[in-house]
Amino acid sequence: MPTVHFFDTPHEIYWGLLIALYFYYTGMSAGSFILTSLGTVFGIEKYKKVSKVGVLMAIVLLAFAPLHLLFDLAQPGRFYNLFLHVNLTSAMSWGVYLLILYPVDLVIYAWYLFRQDFVQGLNKGGFKAGLYSFLLFGKKDMSPAALANDKKKAKFFGTLGVPLALLVHGYTGFILGNVQGRAIWHTPLMPIIFIMSAMVSGTGLFIIVMMLVEKFKFGRIGEDIRSLIADIANLMKWFIVVDGALMIIYFIVLWYSSETGYAAGYFLLHQEGWSFLGLENGLGMLVPFLILLSKKARQSLPLVTLASVLTIIGVLAMRINLVIGGQKLPLTGSKIVEYSVSGRDLSIGLGIGILALVVLTWLYSVLPMNRPGVQEKESIPVSKGVAQ
Amino acid sequence: MGKRYAMVIDLRKCVGCHACTVACKSENNVPLGVNRSWVEELETGKFPNVSRHRLPRLCNHCENPSCLNVCPVKATYQLEDGTVLVDYDRCIGCGYCIAACPYDARFINPERNTAEKCTYCHERVEAGLQPACVNTCVAGARIFGDKNDPTSEVFKLLTTQSVAVSKPETNNRPQTYYIGADEKSLRPNLLKIVGGEK
Repeated sequence: MPTVHFFDTPHEIYWGLLIALYFYYTGMSAGSFILTSLGTVFGIEKYKKVSKVGVLMAIVLLAFAPLHLLFDLAQPGRFYNLFLHVNLTSAMSWGVYLLILYPVDLVIYAWYLFRQDFVQGLNKGGFKAGLYSFLLFGKKDMSPAALANDKKKAKFFGTLGVPLALLVHGYTGFILGNVQGRAIWHTPLMPIIFIMSAMVSGTGLFIIVMMLVEKFKFGRIGEDIRSLIADIANLMKWFIVVDGALMIIYFIVLWYSSETGYAAGYFLLHQEGWSFLGLENGLGMLVPFLILLSKKARQSLPLVTLASVLTIIGVLAMRINLVIGGQKLPLTGSKIVEYSVSGRDLSIGLGIGILALVVLTWLYSVLPMNRPGVQEKESIPVSKGVAQ
Repeated sequence: MGKRYAMVIDLRKCVGCHACTVACKSENNVPLGVNRSWVEELETGKFPNVSRHRLPRLCNHCENPSCLNVCPVKATYQLEDGTVLVDYDRCIGCGYCIAACPYDARFINPERNTAEKCTYCHERVEAGLQPACVNTCVAGARIFGDKNDPTSEVFKLLTTQSVAVSKPETNNRPQTYYIGADEKSLRPNLLKIVGGEK
């Protein structure tokens, strides 16, 4: 039956690019932390080599993530209200505390990982020695008991970090999943999908960051790291399998859920098809999965890099498709709600991204990244990493 | 039982003049481009078998409001009489309530920069007046009152007429009751909107 709507009242999408980027950053922080905690927390020896690289990345990503939220507020000056008033029924209110506990835990964990290297770096002189001396807070004890304590404390705070990482990203899944009014969000799978896709993108970004750190801190990517990358690539393959399976389950149940759920599924396949099928699931999941299937490809740095870049793009597309795509489906009226990213949001997003990159690069260049068996080469100017 | 405000909209009487939309804007200084109350209008069928339907929309002042549940700073609160209000001095403008409301009832006021929506013209009701939209309705299609008071018009209509609410499945338990609403106007035809229905 033909139906014509008059007087369509326009509605706006308020959660745009910045919210999608926030979910993206916390995801990669949680993903990279959980991956690199495999060494310290789960005792898988070879991952201990990269715990420091991973924890710095997780801290910086998480430190910059909430800035997106701050700039998205219509009243940014009132953000402190989030601490003054708690609403236990609001997933966003849970997040406020997780966004503090998680990075604080990570910083303590990182301190115990780095302490020994700070002490050893004191004799280097110059700015670095001054920085290390400050960061040590006077705890220069290098007795076997103190070293054992470092190890114990690192394990404790690292172990605490794993559930916190799961929660800090899982809660964002609840933010969307708890909204009954939007079938596309309202699924119990949402927190799990967020965590699994975070494992994929966190691993992808970590591989790239680790290779860059190796190259610029040690001059070349060592054999041990090459073989570790092959292992991590294999893990990433399995993360993609789980994430992909969850997406398929999510989609099938969405298709059979309700009138609005079916329409949402139709929307993802058709109007959002290039982004949902093409970018998110094709280029972002299927292609990297196919690449990583081959053992030879997993041992090839260029192919692993390619797969990693694709997963990073794919998960960004997933965040955008869910957050913004979910709001394009109208709740009243008769038209798709249009969204176009504002110049302000785009510049803020890019600005935060560049700032995070600069801070991370600086941290990697001034902090001692020694790992078991490999010492930094003093002759290599580490700052080159920024320019290239 | 205590007082519980609700609105009944008798669509058999609504003529689609949009006077409620205008009165609301005027009473509450609602800026251009956003609305606390508005009227959807649609036409179905093919000549000569046609019909025209209207659906005035406003905040449903739900029994279990999604907006109130998701607000991270408790800026949205509910009075004992059921009225859902926003504390404009506390709201941080995160937009979660807007994303969570199944009825598009909320928006960010571009001048005040906080979330906003229909208040049942709280200051008028406190003074013993009717909400502006009810007061202005030429056909008397909007009826506002205490649904727990057996002498109220709202109580009489709710007990004697068959009424419908929009999207009951969301468990918001909305308190805007429509008499004679067309099923097609109570929720968007999403499948058609996304191109899945010819």
